[in-house]
Amino acid sequence: MQKVDFDQVQESLYFEELPNGLSVYVLPKKGFFKTYATFTTKYGSIDNGFQVPGKEKHQVPDGIAHFLEHKMFEQSSGEDVFQEFSRQGASANAFTSFTRTAYLFSCTGQVEQNLTTLLDFVQSPYFTEQNVEKEKGIIGQEIRMYDDNPDWRVYFGLFEAMYQQHPVRIDIAGTTESIAEITRDLLYTCYETFYHPGNMVLFVVGPVDPAQIINLVRENQAGKSFPVQTEIKRFFPDEPEQAGDKLKEIEVSVGISKCMFGFKETKNRVHVTGDELLKQEMATQIVLDALLGSSSELYQSLYDDGLIDDSFGVSYTLDRGFGLSMMGGDTEDPDRLLERIKQELPRLIERGLDPDTFERIRKKKIGANLRYLNSPEWIANQFTGYRFNDADLFNLVPVLESLSLDDVNRRMREHMRWERFAVSIVRPAKD
Amino acid sequence: MEYAQFDSRMIGNIRVHVCTSEKFKTTTLMAFFQQELAPEMVTKTALLPSVLQRGTASVPTTISFKRKLDDLFGAVLYGDVFKRGERHIMQFAMEIANEQYLKEAPKLLAEGIQFLSEVLLKPVLEKKAFKAAYVEAEKKNLKQKIESLKDDKIRYASFRMIEAMCKGEPFALFNHGRIEDLAKIDAENLYTYYQDVLSTCPIDFYCVGNVTVDEVMELLEKQFGGVAKAARKTIQVAPVHHPVSEERVVIERMNVKQGKLNIGCRTQTSVQDEDYPALLMFNGILGGFPHSKLFRNVREKASLAYYCSSRLESHKGLLVIQSGIEISNYEQAVNIIREQLENLRQGKIEEQELKQTKATLSNQLRSQMDRSYEMIFYHYQSVLSGMQRPLEELLEQINQVRIEEVQKMAEKVQLDTIYFLRNRGGNEDAKS
Repeated sequence: MQKVDFDQVQESLYFEELPNGLSVYVLPKKGFFKTYATFTTKYGSIDNGFQVPGKEKHQVPDGIAHFLEHKMFEQSSGEDVFQEFSRQGASANAFTSFTRTAYLFSCTGQVEQNLTTLLDFVQSPYFTEQNVEKEKGIIGQEIRMYDDNPDWRVYFGLFEAMYQQHPVRIDIAGTTESIAEITRDLLYTCYETFYHPGNMVLFVVGPVDPAQIINLVRENQAGKSFPVQTEIKRFFPDEPEQAGDKLKEIEVSVGISKCMFGFKETKNRVHVTGDELLKQEMATQIVLDALLGSSSELYQSLYDDGLIDDSFGVSYTLDRGFGLSMMGGDTEDPDRLLERIKQELPRLIERGLDPDTFERIRKKKIGANLRYLNSPEWIANQFTGYRFNDADLFNLVPVLESLSLDDVNRRMREHMRWERFAVSIVRPAKD
Repeated sequence: MEYAQFDSRMIGNIRVHVCTSEKFKTTTLMAFFQQELAPEMVTKTALLPSVLQRGTASVPTTISFKRKLDDLFGAVLYGDVFKRGERHIMQFAMEIANEQYLKEAPKLLAEGIQFLSEVLLKPVLEKKAFKAAYVEAEKKNLKQKIESLKDDKIRYASFRMIEAMCKGEPFALFNHGRIEDLAKIDAENLYTYYQDVLSTCPIDFYCVGNVTVDEVMELLEKQFGGVAKAARKTIQVAPVHHPVSEERVVIERMNVKQGKLNIGCRTQTSVQDEDYPALLMFNGILGGFPHSKLFRNVREKASLAYYCSSRLESHKGLLVIQSGIEISNYEQAVNIIREQLENLRQGKIEEQELKQTKATLSNQLRSQMDRSYEMIFYHYQSVLSGMQRPLEELLEQINQVRIEEVQKMAEKVQLDTIYFLRNRGGNEDAKS
C-alpha cells in the first residue's frame, strides 16, 4: 500500500495495484458519515469496435455498454442486487458515459458488506435471453425520456454537428432499433473483453481505514480467478479535422430556443494524457471563462441585449480521442446570438487575454477546486476519469499554478479555429 | 459520532444558526426570508433574488459584481425562491473558500459576510429605487424562466399536477410567479416592497464551516445589527388536513414522445405530527427507493417505465407519484399504482420491505449531514415547523415504526388527482 500526502488541501491518498491488475484507491475523509465507492471500467459507448489477440474483430450495436450496465444488476438468484444493497442500508447506482461505466454505492454503515456486494455483483454477470428482452422495454422508455429532454438534445446535437465518424456522435443509450439487436451472447463478449480487473479502478472515499479496505479487496480478489489480461485493441474510424455538418437544428416542444456552439478540438490534441492533458484542459477552461464566462464583457453585453440569460454556460471536454468546447444556453434569438459571437469573438481571440483577467480566472478556479473537494462523488468520479487518461486529479492545482499567460493565449489560438466551429439549435415546435 | 449541532442565537429579531465543522474546505453562509405565498406578492418575491444580484453601491455594474466574486477565490453566490407549504421562501447562499487551504489568501469569511450584507442591504439605487434597467432586464428573464418550465417535461408535469390538485389554494402558485403580474412591477414599487420584506419578514441566517460562533456573530452583528431591530411578523399557514371528496383526472396534450403520469395524494399529515415518521416509512415503502413497490412493480416486473417513484411535500401534506411511460400504457400503469396503494392499505407489507426502508431511509438522512446545504435545510425545517426533531431522535422514531403504523398511515392517504401529459392526436383516448 502506498500513501501520498497533499499538504495544501490536507488530504491523503492510499493506493495498491493487486496481482490481478485491479487498481485500488482509498481517500479517507475524517468527520464524514458517508462512504462512497465506485467500481469503474474503462469502457464506454465509444468502444464499439474492438479485438483481443487470437479472437475475431467485433463491431457491436450502439448502446450496448449502457445496456450491459443495466443488466449487471440482475443476479443468478433471481433477485436484483438493489435488494441486497437496500438491506445493507446502501444506495446503489450506475452510469455509462462515452468512455466509462461506473457502478457505485453510498452508505453510512456496513461499509465492508456493501463493498463486497459491489465487487461480487460486478464480477458475476448473469444474462439470459429472457432478461435481456425484458430490459428492452425499460431502456426504450429511458431513450424516450431523453427524446423529450431539450437540454440533452441540444447538448448531443453539438457532438453530431462536429463529429462525422467518431462514435462519440452516437447516443450513449443507442436507439430503439439498435438495442433490438442486442443479445445475451454479445453482452458476454463485451463483458469478457472490458470487465477484466486490469481494465478497472476501485475508488473508496469516506470515514474508512485504508489498510482495512485494501485488505478486504485484496482477499476478495484473491478468491476469484480471471484469465490473463490481454491487450484490448480498440478501433476508431478516421475523423476529419474540420467540423462535419456545422449546424444541427431540430424542433422540440419548448418555450424558448436553446443554442449551443463550440470548437472541435484539433486532431493532434485529442490523444494527450497525463499532465499535458490537465494543462490543456485548464488552459482551455480559463480561455472559455475569460471570453464568455459570467464575468466577461461579452457575456454581460449579450445579457444586457437580452440574447442570453443565466442558463448560459461554458465547458470543455477532452477524453480518449475526442474533445470540444461548448458554450450556450437558452436564447430568444439563436440567430442573432450567433451573429454576435461570430462578429465579436475573432477580435477577442486576436487581442488575447490580459494578465489581470488571467490571474482572476486562475484564482477562481483554485477556489472552485477546493469547493469540489467537499464532494466525495466528485472526487471519486473525477479521479477515475483522469486516471484512465494517465492523469492525476491532485495535480490539477499545481498545473494551474504553473500555467503562464503565454500558454493560455497560445492554447486559445490553437483551439478556436472557425473551420472547426459548429452549432446546435433546438427551436420551439408549434404546439 | 455526533450529527450537525447548530448553535442558535439572536441578533435583534434575526435568528442566527452556526455549525462549527472541520470537515469542509469552504464556508457556507445562507439567509432565508419567509413570506406568505400569495398571488399579490409571489412575482415580486420571485424577482428579488436576481435584481439583488445585479449590483451593489460599491460594485454597481454587474461585471464588477461578478469580478468581485472571482476575486474572492471564486466565491459562489446564489439566490432563489421556493415553497415550503404555504410559505414563499427567498434564499441567498454564499460558499467561500476557507483560506487555511490556500496559499497567501486574505481572511475570506469577513469579506464574504461583508459582501453578502452589501448584496442584501446596499443594492445599487437610482432615485430611491432599484436601478430601472436592472429591474426591466430581470423581469424579462423571469418571464423567460416561467415560459421555459415546459422545456423540462418532468418538472412541467409535476407542477401542472400540483396546480390542478391545489386549485384555489395558495400552494397552486408557481414559485417563480406569474407572467401577468410583471407589467405592473417597476423599480420603484419593487424597492418599496423589498424594504417591507427586509423590515417585516422572518429572517434566519446560517453559517457552516471551520469557524467559531463568536467570530460569525460579531461579523453578522456589525452588518445586520441595524436591520435586525425591526419586529417580524408570523407567517400563517393553512392546516394540511384536506379530505378528498372526489378524485380528479386531468389530461393535457402536447407534442411529446413519452407520457408523463403524475398522481397526487393528500397525506393529511404534517411534519409536526407524531405519525410523521410513519409517513416517511410509507413513502419509502411505496416509492422512495429501488426496492420500493413502485420501482419493482411498474419498472422491474411490468417493464413499463424507466422511472417510477414517489416523494413528499412534507409542509403541505402531499405525496406525489411520478413516472414516464409509453402513452398507450396509461391504464395499465394507473392500475398497477392503485394496486400498490391498496396493498399498503391492506397492510400487505413484507418484513423485508420494512427493514430495507428503515435502513435506506436512515442512510439517506445521515448522508445529508455531509453536505452543508442539506444540513442547513434539515435544521431550517424545524425552524419552520416549530418542532424540534434532532436527527438522532428521528432515526430512533423511524426505527420504531411497525407495519401496523404504516398501514394506518396508508388509510389516511387519499388519492386526489391523476394528471397525464400525453401526445397530440392518437385515437386511443386515455381514460381513468
